[in-house]
Amino acid sequence: MFEARLSQGSLLKKILEAVKELVTDANFDCSETGIALQAMDNSHVALVSVLLRAEGFDPYRCDRNMPLGVNLNSLNKILKCAGNEDIITLKADDSGDTLGLIFESPNNDRVGEYELKLMDIDQEHLGIPDTEYEAIVRMPSSEFQRICRDLAVISESVTFNVEKEGIKFTSSGEFGTGAVTLKPHTDIDNEEASTSIELTQSVTLTFSLKYLTLFSKSTPLSDQVTLFLSDNVPLLVEYKMDDSAFIRYYLAPR
Amino acid sequence: MGIHGLHKLIGDNAPHAIKANEIKNYFGRKVAIDASMSLYQFLIAVRSEGQQLVNEAGETTSHLMGMFYRTIRMVENGIKPCYVFDGKPPTLKSGELAKRLERKKEANKSLEEAQETGNSADIDKFSRRMVRVTPQHNSECKKLLQMMGIPVVEAPCEAEAQCAALAREGKVFAAASEDMDTLTFGAPVLLRHLTFSEARKMPIDEIHTNKILEELGLKMEEFIDLCILLGCDYCESIKGIGPHRALEFIKKYKSLEEIINNIDTKKYPIPENWQFKDVRQLFLNPEVKDPKEIELKWGSPDVEAIVNYLVHEKGFNEERVRKGTDKLEKHLKSAVQGRLDTFFTTISASNTPSKRKAEDDKKKATKSKKTKTAETKSAGAKRGRPKK
Repeated sequence: MFEARLSQGSLLKKILEAVKELVTDANFDCSETGIALQAMDNSHVALVSVLLRAEGFDPYRCDRNMPLGVNLNSLNKILKCAGNEDIITLKADDSGDTLGLIFESPNNDRVGEYELKLMDIDQEHLGIPDTEYEAIVRMPSSEFQRICRDLAVISESVTFNVEKEGIKFTSSGEFGTGAVTLKPHTDIDNEEASTSIELTQSVTLTFSLKYLTLFSKSTPLSDQVTLFLSDNVPLLVEYKMDDSAFIRYYLAPR
Repeated sequence: MGIHGLHKLIGDNAPHAIKANEIKNYFGRKVAIDASMSLYQFLIAVRSEGQQLVNEAGETTSHLMGMFYRTIRMVENGIKPCYVFDGKPPTLKSGELAKRLERKKEANKSLEEAQETGNSADIDKFSRRMVRVTPQHNSECKKLLQMMGIPVVEAPCEAEAQCAALAREGKVFAAASEDMDTLTFGAPVLLRHLTFSEARKMPIDEIHTNKILEELGLKMEEFIDLCILLGCDYCESIKGIGPHRALEFIKKYKSLEEIINNIDTKKYPIPENWQFKDVRQLFLNPEVKDPKEIELKWGSPDVEAIVNYLVHEKGFNEERVRKGTDKLEKHLKSAVQGRLDTFFTTISASNTPSKRKAEDDKKKATKSKKTKTAETKSAGAKRGRPKK
């Protein structure tokens, strides 16, 4: 028996929007501690990892570990039927054949009940080693999204160059080049607009913009995004919702 | 060709060893392709109105057409192919080759008959059977591949064996062939249908030897014996033993010697002068070039040479050839995108499925009436499949 009630249903809707274009099918691995999802894209270049800790739900109950194999597009379609303010409850019995979804309006006068057929998904799980990253950059997620969008006009790839003084994004394409530099600064009134750089060594890495653009679909989930970079190691892009949930993307360098 | 009925046997007894994938999934992978097999495919399949493609001088060009466009398709999908050509056939194969020659002769006779009666379906059928890969086809393809910047390896003997050796050494991710005996030669991963036409929408079968051995509960030597028993190109097998019994015997007696000692030879006559030991040696230690000494290098294509060769000598359409070379240049040149699995280790996927399988069995026992399908999705070609 699995049951999880999420008072802020829009969180789930946004997560689906952020994942569904990268992967089509994935397992929601439900356990006592929470719901986890790990999946690679078709070409094994990028990986997305979502964690919703049990504390984020009220109540949360999971008697035994079970993978819920979901076609993300189908789930997204069902979640579109939920209002932004709705309370969403996820339910599955021990057979794990279907996932039940209940959408309750905030003042409790409307209840929607949906069921999604589940699938068996063979998925390779990757063990992700703990890495000491050489550079950690925190910046407004909207800024990151804009940079990806802007530079995608120029080229298919972007080079990240992280120094103490700032992070520089450079692209060069057939008809020209583009570069955006962000300098670290602290906005006291509005912490979310700050940019900070922690660095043990300057780093230069190149990544595919196609994937970064897909990652930036997580922008509505969090005001800040954190980039973790090290030479010859996949880039980690993290959106933290609050202490109970995060979405992480890994991308192999070019 | 290959091992008789092995694919089905694996599908039935070790289903997790075979995965169907899209070509996209092989992004960034190096693959060794059994060229002779592909050439044969091209000569048979690349046709227009049932006839092989020819240039003005009447020389066949089907193989070049296939080689050129299908290689480009792979390169476009981020695959780095290298082609391995056959050397001399092993002496043990002479029996099989004689049989094939015999069949060709028969086909020739039937073709003549069909032409006399004017049965076009039969003409088509038998002319396909007449197809032979000549040394000239081979050398033309090698020439083309070199111009395209694709590495070519000449095997001293069987190409499948060389592909397998390259994959085992880690020079390439997988061996690509339609021949199942590539597995018997010890390829860790075999890809089938890689060189098939896009139009056929055939998913690529990825077959893992370690999974086969694990799920069948066999050692590599036992697997080789099983393949010999199923019937390979190099010697006869025991009459009356089908795939089922072959697997049963191997599991019970562990080796061909023991099987011969234990089974009823009246019921299952052992072939006279059966050279299974030599064949086993052939599979275990095939004659190959040391893969450590082979260097695979992908260069940039020589566009003008390709145009000159294909357009002026072989009568291809210049515009289409140039379009192809553009793609080739773009993809061979562009920086290689890395794959995540080279950085992160795959945690054996078999853990979860086997667990779930056990649960499935339990489930079936308790409530078998529950059936369902996920019609919403054409899951077949994708990674997931609807739960049964």
